[in-house]
Amino acid sequence: MNPRPYLLAGPAATLLIGLLVCPLLLVIRVSLYQPANGRGFFTPGTWTLANHSALMDAHGLGLVGYTIAFGAMIAVVVVMVSFPLALFLRSLNFPLQRLAIAGITLPKFASVLVILFGLQQLLGDTGPVNRMLLTWGIVSEPLRMMRGLFGALLGEVFLILPYAVILLFVQVLEIDPILESSARGLGASRWQVFRRITLPLAMPGLVLAGQLALVWGMGAFLGPLLLGSPENTTLSVEIQRQAFEYGRWPRAAALSIQLILAIGICLGALTFLHNQVSGRRLGGDR
Amino acid sequence: MTPYPIFRTLRIVAGFFVVGCLVAPLLYAVWLSFSPDSFLTPPERDWSVRWYKVFATDTRWSMALSRSLTVGLACAVLSVLAGAMFAYGMERFRFRGKGILGILVLLPMCIPPAVLGMGLLPLFYLVGLWGSLLGLVLVHAMMCLPVVYLIVRSKLRQMNPDLEMAARGLGAKPSQVTMRILIPLWGSALVVGAAAAFAVSFNESMVTLFLATPTTETLPAMIWPQLRYSPSPLVAVASVVSVILALGVAIGFGGIVKLVDAKSGTKKG
Repeated sequence: MNPRPYLLAGPAATLLIGLLVCPLLLVIRVSLYQPANGRGFFTPGTWTLANHSALMDAHGLGLVGYTIAFGAMIAVVVVMVSFPLALFLRSLNFPLQRLAIAGITLPKFASVLVILFGLQQLLGDTGPVNRMLLTWGIVSEPLRMMRGLFGALLGEVFLILPYAVILLFVQVLEIDPILESSARGLGASRWQVFRRITLPLAMPGLVLAGQLALVWGMGAFLGPLLLGSPENTTLSVEIQRQAFEYGRWPRAAALSIQLILAIGICLGALTFLHNQVSGRRLGGDR
Repeated sequence: MTPYPIFRTLRIVAGFFVVGCLVAPLLYAVWLSFSPDSFLTPPERDWSVRWYKVFATDTRWSMALSRSLTVGLACAVLSVLAGAMFAYGMERFRFRGKGILGILVLLPMCIPPAVLGMGLLPLFYLVGLWGSLLGLVLVHAMMCLPVVYLIVRSKLRQMNPDLEMAARGLGAKPSQVTMRILIPLWGSALVVGAAAAFAVSFNESMVTLFLATPTTETLPAMIWPQLRYSPSPLVAVASVVSVILALGVAIGFGGIVKLVDAKSGTKKG
């Protein structure tokens, strides 16, 4: 056996196992402790499934449902906005394209907190957008855009969109422009070219962008916490609240496992769906 | 492409409107940072650097800034070293466990930071990394691995493995192959990977918040309580400073890429 690949992969594998796999195993263990009685974060040396079964009530399931719906909405919005934007980027010529790419990537050099802070101030009840709408008489009282589902969604979309646009831009750049122009030359309408050539060739990128947005949307924490409503929150926010505000570590750990499972199942379902659809299309074409 | 120029113009306007929306929060934060008083209203006539002075004179902020820079740079070095070795092993060798490692390296992208923080806190407590910058560096390096790996691997795939084989066959030592073949050809991708890792680490706030203690207070950990409970222009100033630093480092890394490429070009010729 050649030891060199193992030596090469060693440092990275150590990091991954030590700081990713071990913490996840530890989360499983913590979720099986009895809650703390008085002091500490949990009662050492105990084993119980109560933390998991406590999540199976209406409130707990509602939380999971909200998280999944939130992730799905993020995925749909991100893909629907980033794909046209990527096609738009491709259609630009050089200086404008550079400018647009710079504009899209610039926010990624700023901290997530900065972007959310800017959004909070821009769209708040007394923010410039609301003031403008009021002066123009479009609305009679300030639109409540922050502290609700809309704010949470918008915040996360702002954070995830740049990645999706760049990913899809790289994908559509690989489409040979001759394919599209020759289809046009052979009499296909603009819509047909999009439907039969651009869309299928961009599909792998679209699926990947959708998967990323789904995973990140379901794990969303800062957007829902800072711009969302306190009543309706995602699992991530609830995890942080249980662990740090109530000191219920076993409960927070059980929620974490629920979140990981939910993400795994949704990701698997999306991949399965895509395989089914693309398999059928390939079969049909033949 | 479009026969009607009006549609073309409209499309460009619409496209740039969306791009403008994406940049707007950042630009608005920059504008707010020049506010002369403590309310969060953008200055129209009298711009002031008052809050920049507060930021510069407060040692807590400058300490946080230097900690963030230290962690970012250390994380960049560590994750590029580990990621490049990993990618080389994965691309140039066949071995047992390769499939699992290929999945494992992408896993950090799929684990929500809140869950990671939940597990890391007791772990750090157990192994005594609690409250040390080293712990933060290691976690960030782990989180950057997928990005670094993907960047570095795509370049490695374009490089011809025969070059390395030929050099070995002609009697070059592994260290010579690394220095004379791998680094010149691969260097630019490694630098890009390092820049990406720095940007991720410098702006990472979730895990930082979970693990924050007074001795590891980095920039996001300082911004956070202010943002959550009492937003003031100081938050905007901290944001602006961090964006400028991140951009500056990115441009610096870009300069290194050019230098590396130019050097390997002259060697070839």
